[in-house]
Amino acid sequence: MGGAGRPPFRLSWNWVGIVPFLVFAGTFLVLPTIVLGLRALEAPDGATTLENFRNLTTPVVVDSFRLSVKISLLTAIAGGVFGFLLAWSVLLGGLPKPVRSLLTTFSGVASNFAGVPLASAFINTAGRIGLITVLLKAAGFDIYKAGFDLYSFIGISVVYLYFQFPLMVLVITPSIEGLRTEWREASENLGASAYQYWRYVGLPVLMPSILGAMILLFGNSFGAHATAFALTGGNLRLATILIGQQISGDVLQDPGLGYAVAMGMVGVMAVSIGVYSLLQRRSERWLA
Amino acid sequence: MRRLIPVVALVFIVAACGGDDDTTATTAAPGTTPAPGTTVAADPMADLVAAAEAEGMLTTIALPHDWCNYGAVIDGFKAKYPGITVNELVPDAGSADEIEAIKANTDNPGPQAPDVIDVGLAFGPSSKAEGLIQPYKVSTWDSIPADAKDPDGYWYGDYYGVLAFEVNTAVQPDVPTDWADLLDPKYAGQIALAGDPRASNQAIFSVYAAALANGGSLDDAQAGLDFFASLNEAGNLVPLIAESGTVASGETPVTVRWTYNALANRDENGEAIQVVVPDSGRFAGVYVQAISAYAPHPNAAKLWMEYLYSDEGQLGWLSGYCNPIRYEDMAARGVVPGDLAAKLPDTVGAVFPAIEQIEAAKTLITENWDAVVGLNVGG
Amino acid sequence: MSIGAAPSGPITEFGTVEGVGMGRVTHEPGGGPPRSRLARLWPWSIVLLGSLYFLMPLIGTVRMSLRHNQGASAAWRLILANEDLWPAFRESMVNGLATIVVSLLVIVPTAYWVTLKLPKLRPIIEFITLLPFVIPGVVLVLALIRLYSAPPLLLTRTYGSTRLVMICAYAALSFPYMYRAVDNGLRAIDVRALTEAAQSLGAGWPTILAKVIFPNLKVALISGALLTFAIVMGELTIALYMAQRTLAPFMADIVRNKPFEAAALTLIMFAVTWVALGMISFVTNRAGKRR
Repeated sequence: MGGAGRPPFRLSWNWVGIVPFLVFAGTFLVLPTIVLGLRALEAPDGATTLENFRNLTTPVVVDSFRLSVKISLLTAIAGGVFGFLLAWSVLLGGLPKPVRSLLTTFSGVASNFAGVPLASAFINTAGRIGLITVLLKAAGFDIYKAGFDLYSFIGISVVYLYFQFPLMVLVITPSIEGLRTEWREASENLGASAYQYWRYVGLPVLMPSILGAMILLFGNSFGAHATAFALTGGNLRLATILIGQQISGDVLQDPGLGYAVAMGMVGVMAVSIGVYSLLQRRSERWLA
Repeated sequence: MRRLIPVVALVFIVAACGGDDDTTATTAAPGTTPAPGTTVAADPMADLVAAAEAEGMLTTIALPHDWCNYGAVIDGFKAKYPGITVNELVPDAGSADEIEAIKANTDNPGPQAPDVIDVGLAFGPSSKAEGLIQPYKVSTWDSIPADAKDPDGYWYGDYYGVLAFEVNTAVQPDVPTDWADLLDPKYAGQIALAGDPRASNQAIFSVYAAALANGGSLDDAQAGLDFFASLNEAGNLVPLIAESGTVASGETPVTVRWTYNALANRDENGEAIQVVVPDSGRFAGVYVQAISAYAPHPNAAKLWMEYLYSDEGQLGWLSGYCNPIRYEDMAARGVVPGDLAAKLPDTVGAVFPAIEQIEAAKTLITENWDAVVGLNVGG
Repeated sequence: MSIGAAPSGPITEFGTVEGVGMGRVTHEPGGGPPRSRLARLWPWSIVLLGSLYFLMPLIGTVRMSLRHNQGASAAWRLILANEDLWPAFRESMVNGLATIVVSLLVIVPTAYWVTLKLPKLRPIIEFITLLPFVIPGVVLVLALIRLYSAPPLLLTRTYGSTRLVMICAYAALSFPYMYRAVDNGLRAIDVRALTEAAQSLGAGWPTILAKVIFPNLKVALISGALLTFAIVMGELTIALYMAQRTLAPFMADIVRNKPFEAAALTLIMFAVTWVALGMISFVTNRAGKRR
């Protein structure tokens, strides 16, 4: 790694390697984010103000962040765990090879099946007069009376998983593929059970990748808007929905606040990356 | 890798060549003075048509084809002026989105910049104040009611509708006739607003209309909030957003929408969908047209306005169940076909709030919805 | 079974080598001892459970597509007869393929470089790649228009140039997924050793990337490509504000007031995209085998 004796030209040569990325990301991501930040400093009359950022501490905004983080954590973890299990099943579970391609390609389609089509699909399945609801009611079991509600936090989380599972499957597949078979064989040789293999070899090796995938799932859920909106309108006040209410629609609301909340989301993402990096470095120590 | 390069190049060439190229549109200077309206528009019209066709394109925004039958209206325009391509942006944009689009495209002469907007009444004065629109008085200016237009010609009402109950009778055969009916337990879990009450005209005005029927007034919408609070408590209100799709599928069998939207849904998705204007609390909402101050095709925009405010354009909206703003004038001159007039629902007694009243009600409703109604789906 | 002394059998994609594994190329179902029937139960149960979860909403959508008031097959007939469907679909497909190319060309060298030379920069790069999640679509497209549509850049002057801008924006949107997939793929191979070996054989950077890294990342690249393709096919807001006639705006038009046709359309697009991805997968797999 970095050594004291590095000649200076080597350092600049290293940076050249990521210049294309920096230019591309700068043009299409960073500059718009800066525009976003600048607009967050605008008051409704056009003057510059920090009022919008100060308003980030109001209960409405804080609650929306809490809700967003909550649903993102929930679907990241649930999606991560079951997505991992799905990937493991088709890659290492001894299933016929076509099952793997079926799952992988299906995941490709399902990973972006979101928004109104996904919400409609779930409404038609588990809504008040959805297919499953009606069938179960005919069988004597009213799930809505029993407390289930598609238009609730849990309901929306269940819907989110539809694109979280496939995302996890696709992203973790290269890592599971990369597990050396000789490690498994070696651990067998040493008398380890399957549980012990995974506990001491498999999962530790995969942990950095799993964490990376989970942060992706977290971000994916954090930034999602259309699906929740299609299900409960503005009544589940996630941060993204709050932003939408401020900058879109038919009411002259407070766009500056909307942009400030968006910058707040950038902040939350930065903190998440920080936490994730820490966890990842810890998990990498094993491998170093 | 060597084999990939021609493929890559091919993909890019196809991507870049695809689609029509924008015909050269000279950046017209914004803020032209209002063209003087004459009742007999002969030569000025011909000049306008020529100038518009030289521009060759009109960019609209937020015009869904089934909203007031804009589909037919646009088709009529295209048939009348085949030299003008109509470029339609973001049909589902809200009024605020249209304003944002103008603001983002101030320097853009390309097809992403909207030329004309159709926004809620309150956005007329606000966009004028922000300098986002330019004045133009159509030749039929005088027959537009005075309280529905800006005296300087910056914005002008185009059509209005009344809020009505939309019911999918296949799921809920009992059609409510008034607001109080909605509290009946038979509607448990069946009523939904047709939008987000913090951001959507239809939803906010539904609350406002409920206020009128429950002891409130145009100056005080609190009664509407209380009404929806009791709806929620009774378990009749669900947090879903009702749309044509959810009404037609039966997931939200009862909702409150503009007559024109509800009737368009009935036409599209079957007679099971019935539309009833409530006996009390009849609420009318006006939308306004304006030309963007930064319109890349100002002459096409003006021609579009002339078309919309001609009898032909107004009748086009009428066929979509919208009340065109010049209806009184056209009816007086006997220009409205009988069958078309018969299709309009009875909206006698509908009230039109003034802009200040709308603003006050919007503020009250958007700020207090959560606290009063408590429909929040929390964690 | 015994390991070590047994001669290794053929190493194939399907691999099953009970002998000494020869490195990462074997994809050994099980990767261990022959499974007992009970042990096989777990993978099957999980896959079954997953399939159930994935299929149920699709079945609900099928039911919806058959409920058109003009008859059970009316929705399907109407949507398939819609002459705007296939041009929009084709346009999205081309956009998708172009986006995959751009994304790969930007991300793979970057991820490789960061892994090899600049690991300390990783959190910053990762943060940048996650920005698409937190910039609302409307904000992004309007910011892009604001920044790049004015003279002298005029990047959105024509339909075609706007399309290129949009493809680049889509590539940026795909960064989180592509970067993660490639990063995971790189973790699974010994990048340093491979690079040093290639360098000692006299390869320059382009050759290393093209002939060593890309082939070894095949699985990761497929994952990233599939995800990118899905994003492009479904992206709505940017296409709307940039006046592009892609699939998602068409879909939004149908969804607005034709719920039954929308259900049929959803299923058609699902199936067609699935088949398209299957073909991509198939072709890349075969290309791999030929090597």
